[in-house]
Amino acid sequence: MTEFSDRQELNDRLSLIESMIAEGRQTTESWGWTFALWGVAYYVAIAWSVWGHAAAIAWPVTMIAAGILTGILCSRQASRSPGTTVGRSLCAIWIALGISLFLFGMCSGISHRIDQHAWVAAVEVMLGMANATSSMILRWKLQFGCAIVWWTAGVVSLFGTVAQSRVAFLAAIFLCQIVFGLYMMIWRPERGRAMKAGAHHA
Amino acid sequence: MHEPAPKSVTDLPELNPIIHGKLRLALLSLLSTVEEAEFTWLRAKTNSTDGNLGAQLLKLEEAGYVAIKKKFVSRKPQTMYRMTESGRQALTDYVQALKQLLGAAIDA
Repeated sequence: MTEFSDRQELNDRLSLIESMIAEGRQTTESWGWTFALWGVAYYVAIAWSVWGHAAAIAWPVTMIAAGILTGILCSRQASRSPGTTVGRSLCAIWIALGISLFLFGMCSGISHRIDQHAWVAAVEVMLGMANATSSMILRWKLQFGCAIVWWTAGVVSLFGTVAQSRVAFLAAIFLCQIVFGLYMMIWRPERGRAMKAGAHHA
Repeated sequence: MHEPAPKSVTDLPELNPIIHGKLRLALLSLLSTVEEAEFTWLRAKTNSTDGNLGAQLLKLEEAGYVAIKKKFVSRKPQTMYRMTESGRQALTDYVQALKQLLGAAIDA
């Protein structure tokens, strides 16, 4: 073997290590569907509570259905995914958020001790907190942008009119759940495939 | 200025032959980023066949670089692979040796 091809082979090995480490760390893109699913669930709950029959059960029924569906799909996906500390941290944040939102939503709905502005604002700032924490763990500016959108919507809900609060909530759901979820589902896997192709060429 | 004498062949480190295989190196690199990983995940990430992947993982297991745990999830068998401490040390040493060899190749 020539000296050049020796060096080339050593460089190939180093590139292989780098690309595989990058590949192993890439664990977030496959969860985009959860964002999109919950975005759709929020819209269904809002539409049902405004235009549908038995509006009182719109939110609990939709949220519980979305929670069960997410739980089933996540347990299947988690059994195939590798265990990482980052993955467990992110999972902990979103499970804690889910429990908090469920308790808050159910109890405030039954007790009627909170007005609509405060209720929407609380939900929005909790979503902002979860997105911000995730983005800091992942060092992902785009997700921190989502957190800012949720926090802004929370502030608008507390200071704005009912109409402004609704528009802010609907816009935040669209941007931070549906668009962000679809972005993770479509664009991030494309980037992953490009990285993998690079590794095989190396 | 006095130039350092070129390194002789005996000064250069040897690359660990167990890790040097492309698929085994890819597997150890992947396993270094996770706590544990399932067989199918490793297969998808390395684009390898079941037979080849199984054979290479067995070699890594025999060398003590990888530990295996079998379990059942929803009544389906699952084989989980984890990098051992000696595997992590071997990969670290391999990368150091690789860098040294590359440095020597550039100096030559």
